[in-house]
Amino acid sequence: MAEAIGFYILAFFLILFSYRTITATNPIHSALYLVLTMIGLAATFFNLGAQFIAGVQLIVYAGAVMVLFVMVLMLFDLKAEIRAFSRGLVSGGLKVMSAALLAGLALGAANGSLVLYQTPEGNKLTGDVTRQLGLLLYTKYLYAFEVLGVLLLVVAVGVVAVSRIKGGTHAQH
Amino acid sequence: MLNTETFLHIGMPHYIFLSAVIFSFGMIAVLMRKNVIVMLMGVELMLNAVNLSFIVFAKENGNLNGHIMVFFVMTIAAAEAGVGLALAVAIYKKFHEVNIRFFEHLRG
Repeated sequence: MAEAIGFYILAFFLILFSYRTITATNPIHSALYLVLTMIGLAATFFNLGAQFIAGVQLIVYAGAVMVLFVMVLMLFDLKAEIRAFSRGLVSGGLKVMSAALLAGLALGAANGSLVLYQTPEGNKLTGDVTRQLGLLLYTKYLYAFEVLGVLLLVVAVGVVAVSRIKGGTHAQH
Repeated sequence: MLNTETFLHIGMPHYIFLSAVIFSFGMIAVLMRKNVIVMLMGVELMLNAVNLSFIVFAKENGNLNGHIMVFFVMTIAAAEAGVGLALAVAIYKKFHEVNIRFFEHLRG
């Protein structure tokens, strides 16, 4: 019972915050609602027994990535948008319809597959999940982990190269 | 099928539906918004929704590979946010507005 109440409160706030993320006309408000969504998701991960992932979610997403977003927004000095959504009745309607189609497909696929899905018996995450995760990451997935490190290096160099276009952010035109 | 037991016993379906709803919101943001940064936020929402379903399935199967996948997705998402924001900065420098319709003028 308590689990159900907790889940519904969390789900209500997650849906509310993600809805406000996509509907807020001021991008700063969008970013702050997105931070709240990330924190709610971290709480959900914790609820599902993924303590390490919850911590990483808080540090990487709610911390680093969102600080990056908010800093870039502050750099731009954007006002609230007058026409935040794409214009055009036909193309807008098509986009809404395709999004609704995707939502229906996702929900329908989830609903349909749950009938077929059978929970494996006696397969529960036990013991220190974080320890098992670390062991797995540094043995079975060591190669992928190293490749990710190389990828991050390449991305760091690429970002500097992309943002070094002549002029500078506050250059006079 | 819809009885109180369905609502009170929280299992995998509830989390999957929550994940689907958040994913759809992210897709609507990418399709409908014109601000590049809000579109990137929509991408982040979609990635997070997928992470949620990975964690739920990992718990359901008693298998930690889903957690590893979430770890990798988070790294890719951070890299993607960095590149996307650098592109947004490049657009803002040229046009003093962050609008998706300026992306086609971003040659050279």
